[in-house]
Amino acid sequence: MKRRPKAAVLYGDGINCHNETVHGLALAGFDAELLHTTDLMANSARLSSVQLLAMPGGFSFADEIASGKVLALKLKDKLKNTFYDFVDKGNLVIGICNGFQILVQMGLLPDSNPTAARAVSLCHNSHGRFMNKWVELEVDKKNQSGFFLGLQSIHLPVRHGEGRLVLSPELTSTAVETVKKQSPLRYRQDINGSYDRIAGLLNQKGNVLGLMPHPEAFVRWEQHPAGHKVNRGEEPHGLSILKNAAAMVNQG
Amino acid sequence: MNVAANKIVSETAEPEKSALIALAVIAKDGFKNAADVVEFPIYWILIDKNEETIDSSILKQALAEVLADSLLENLWSSFGGQRQEWQTVFKAAGFGFYAERQFLPGVTDNLARTVEEALHLKGVPPSIKVASGRGFLFKKKQSAEEGMYKFFHPLADRFKIHDLAEGEIKFLQFPAVHLPEVKEPEIISLDLNDQELVELSKNRLLALNLAEMQAIKKHYQGLNKWPTDVELEVIAQTWSEHCKHKIFSAKISYRDKEKKTTIDSLYKTYIQGPTYELMKKRDDLLSVFEDNSGVIRWTEEQGVCFKVETHNSPSALEPYGGALTGILGVNRDVLGTGLGARPIFNTDVFCFAYPSESLAKRPKLLPAETIIKGVRKGVQDGGNKSGIPTVNGAVVFHPGYRAKPLVFCGTGGILPLTVAGKSGVEKHTKIQDRIVVVGGRVGKDGIHGATFSSEALHEGSPVSAVQIGDPFTQKRVSDFVLEARDRGLITGITDNGAGGLSSSIGEMARITNGATLILDNVPLKYPGLSDYEIVISESQERMSISTDRPEELLALAKKFNVEACDLGEFEKHGYFKILRSGKTVAMLDLQFLHKGAPRLELEAEWQGPASLPEKIGAENSSYKTMLLALLSHPNVCSRESVIRQYDHEVQGGSVVKPLMGRNQKAACDAAVIKPILDRPEGLVVANGLCPQLSKYDARLMAQCAVDEAVRNAVCVGANPKSLVLLDNFCWTDPVFTDKNPEGKFKLAQLVRACQGLADSVYAYGTPLISGKDSMKNDFDDGVVRLSIPPTLLVSAMGKIDDAAQVVTMEFKNPGDLIYIVSAASLGFAGSLVADIAGWDSANVPEIDPQEAALLYEQTHEAIKAGLVQSAHDLSDGGLGVALAECCIGSELGARLQAEKISTAAAACIPDSNVLAAELKKRLDFALFAEGPARLLVSVKPENKAAWEQIMQGISCVQIGSVESSAALVFTSAEDKVLFSVELAEMLGAWETLLPFAEEES
Repeated sequence: MKRRPKAAVLYGDGINCHNETVHGLALAGFDAELLHTTDLMANSARLSSVQLLAMPGGFSFADEIASGKVLALKLKDKLKNTFYDFVDKGNLVIGICNGFQILVQMGLLPDSNPTAARAVSLCHNSHGRFMNKWVELEVDKKNQSGFFLGLQSIHLPVRHGEGRLVLSPELTSTAVETVKKQSPLRYRQDINGSYDRIAGLLNQKGNVLGLMPHPEAFVRWEQHPAGHKVNRGEEPHGLSILKNAAAMVNQG
Repeated sequence: MNVAANKIVSETAEPEKSALIALAVIAKDGFKNAADVVEFPIYWILIDKNEETIDSSILKQALAEVLADSLLENLWSSFGGQRQEWQTVFKAAGFGFYAERQFLPGVTDNLARTVEEALHLKGVPPSIKVASGRGFLFKKKQSAEEGMYKFFHPLADRFKIHDLAEGEIKFLQFPAVHLPEVKEPEIISLDLNDQELVELSKNRLLALNLAEMQAIKKHYQGLNKWPTDVELEVIAQTWSEHCKHKIFSAKISYRDKEKKTTIDSLYKTYIQGPTYELMKKRDDLLSVFEDNSGVIRWTEEQGVCFKVETHNSPSALEPYGGALTGILGVNRDVLGTGLGARPIFNTDVFCFAYPSESLAKRPKLLPAETIIKGVRKGVQDGGNKSGIPTVNGAVVFHPGYRAKPLVFCGTGGILPLTVAGKSGVEKHTKIQDRIVVVGGRVGKDGIHGATFSSEALHEGSPVSAVQIGDPFTQKRVSDFVLEARDRGLITGITDNGAGGLSSSIGEMARITNGATLILDNVPLKYPGLSDYEIVISESQERMSISTDRPEELLALAKKFNVEACDLGEFEKHGYFKILRSGKTVAMLDLQFLHKGAPRLELEAEWQGPASLPEKIGAENSSYKTMLLALLSHPNVCSRESVIRQYDHEVQGGSVVKPLMGRNQKAACDAAVIKPILDRPEGLVVANGLCPQLSKYDARLMAQCAVDEAVRNAVCVGANPKSLVLLDNFCWTDPVFTDKNPEGKFKLAQLVRACQGLADSVYAYGTPLISGKDSMKNDFDDGVVRLSIPPTLLVSAMGKIDDAAQVVTMEFKNPGDLIYIVSAASLGFAGSLVADIAGWDSANVPEIDPQEAALLYEQTHEAIKAGLVQSAHDLSDGGLGVALAECCIGSELGARLQAEKISTAAAACIPDSNVLAAELKKRLDFALFAEGPARLLVSVKPENKAAWEQIMQGISCVQIGSVESSAALVFTSAEDKVLFSVELAEMLGAWETLLPFAEEES
């Protein structure tokens, strides 16, 4: 029997989707454990025993100043190299909602390379409001990301106020194309003014994923607002994404 | 690096003591194509030069990195805070006016606190102080004045408009708190006559009546001394209506027409009584009325708890802060239950005046719309930032809530039944356990909150009542408490809410019969608080813990980045003793403190229901127009704009959300969540309230509220036998005085509401596990006296054994049969159609709770047997509205036979209704009359026989069927179309916008 891949799920400082992220990862085949920010800061070696780091959703530092900003500052100064090493080794990082915002603020997306300038920001939704709603998403057919293997059109809830992807005005057209290419997931309809309806980003290597919708919130059909209406033969789409992550680890 | 060369010097208003930097975060594209009004963040940074030498290059770099997004924003900084250079740029960009907003000194500034923490992470010394604000640029004077109205909250903010044409502008400076020197505790002489005692209570905002003041005087005469101000304040807080529920425990002489009876405590008779009786039949009630929330058994290992609080007075004054602290406060009630429970859901109910309502020249009464928007935002931040899903709620409009808005905040939690080998449901505080307080610092906020909420609002209501919550600090505290609990470090815990340390430690001291509190160690927000202020301050986000392992507890607090302090010890000396600098500032006899308050003796008089004229207009056959008017009524229309702004799915247990169905427009009657993700059970939460019935009879109002809560819960699949209830009374002052001549009637209304509640609780078998009352919901400025309609909110919590069996309200399949099931009578009294048409009627509906209970049991049987496709509660707007909602939620239509609807309604008209003969013929009565205990159910045709079999003995009439065509069609007996309403029309009417869709600021 294959060993279950190990995952660490960050919590503390206002992160609040950690328990269901552990639950979702466990359903997907991971051995998932919580890891408090203070413990990670005190001992970055905690990452050496896991193959996936999840940065769950929440309101780290209450979203003050900008979503994800302060926790990114806190982690970045002390752990920047730890993160780059972790990613370089081919381990997976998944940032969901606030976790995605943190990854962007840390400069791990769309480039997880220590010298790259930040290329994108996640800003207030164009309508100015927080929004909790299930949305339809399209998986980019050209993007061969392992996270979305076998998925085309999926349903997941969004729960954010700052999910509008904005590109740096200084990006060259080649760089813009690169960002588009690294976007595996788009909203079917424009829900927040995000550039090119982008809902998620990958790094170049494809092992760091950040996305605004919540895969951990759709790991059972009964979580779906019309669960009784949809084909229950299908696997819940969020669970598929997390299972794909487990498969990516197992395939090395 | 040469630190001295980079030292910031002299560019400040008080150059010797401190340096000020003003900062603005401006979009990189500046003011190109700027709108008429531009808004941006501004900050004030204060550096105390006596304390630190700060390297200015480190500071500049840290500020830029922390405050601005390098991609999109520039940071403007003005060392010395003069900002003349900004003025030039603003003017050049075509703006005429610049306004600045900052918090008043001492008001909680969460953003600034975060900036301080972030700067500290970047190596800036912690002595640096930050204040946050907003800058606004206006092109025209008129828009500046309008902006002031829109952006300015006078109780919490400073707001200043500058004319940019002026030569030298006086910009706002750092909002530092300046307090006079701390005074030593005073001895308050009570050698006073009765009138002087009353004056003293009033002047010190003690909210104590004469009998209570006399009791205190007598107690201290016996001790041969007078109390210190600390002692007097602690007694006032402990005896406040808010904390003591004096009216509910009063001895009441009740006259019902000619019959006179004495009620020995409403609370014992009608609240505790039925519950203790029902406990004989139910073994799942683990802790009722004792703790901060009621606890029931959920599984073999886990319990769930539930509490609902009101935060009416604070929300009337500062709606955002009031609602936010309301939510965070009830979250702490849950966190402080047993040895600590984890909050798993919020449910919030708001009662507002109609948005259009205004009352001129009453500056203390905020416009209804301002209250609505502020409360909505407060609930959003309170729930979302704490990671607690807001799963369910209600918004009710009634003109009477102009007196005070009602803001009910409810929270449920889950807790282990065993912690470190002991019961997790109880407290185990022992003699010599240490007192540890964790969380926020103490300031002047909320001083006299407990006593103030026990009074009517008036012009001089204290400003210190304004509080803003800090959900982030509380989230850290919450993470910490749960970890500390699991490690066995907590022997007892309670929250600091109304009354602060006075209440939390004063209460916990009862467990061991004594406590010594040392004030020297209490962490303060700023110096200058007197002893009594520290003791009664309601500064938020604090939990009081008893522990026998203080070192480990304090070390763990460090990991979770929360401040924790050892403040003394639990003892057995019989006193609540308070020390500062080794001196005793209060020595309160616990027996007197908790048992010494004289009992109120009150009178109540009931003269029978209000005799209102029958004013029912003739039947108006434009049913469609009426249906659309009802759908767009503020009490019916879509709440989507509110719901979407609340995270209702966090924690992953969401099953029935507020809006369900393919189009996510099916407005559900109750919420279902899974408290434990890998188990099948679903937890059901529902609410009921019917304030529109109070003017007829508070007893009926109470029974209908219970019925509505139970009915809603049953609709989604709750087992009615599993339900427990919470009662929340919001009343208008029921104590008779010269100024309150209707006091006896209002108390009689309270008595009747309690009696109705008790009867229903027995009949449904649904015990009350917790509750709250707020008795002074009046506004009185000496000229105008306004009162809310007496309101009872009933909240229900229950279980569905398998969450996969939930039922939602929208129709499911074309061809399904539609049934109306009912167990009570109908009327126009209190109905929405009567409200719109300007009718009135004293023919109120009647309910027999025994029959209703049977209806719910049988409906649940049918749900369990898988026979029910959809179930929806009939409430505001009657059958017509319910049918429309089931169509809107499903994008399906329905075909209904008018005759069958009329027949079903005719059977529900009580003989007592003087208009019975006429109403039986009226289709508008059948469509829009209202009454309790009615459900709209759809059933698959193949299940018809099985369903009807289960529903035997209950009025259950098939009135039509679900159709694929998108319209609601009513037909005659000959199947001719009488009238029809298109789905798009219904949706359009229902999606009327309430003033909730505010942009973030």
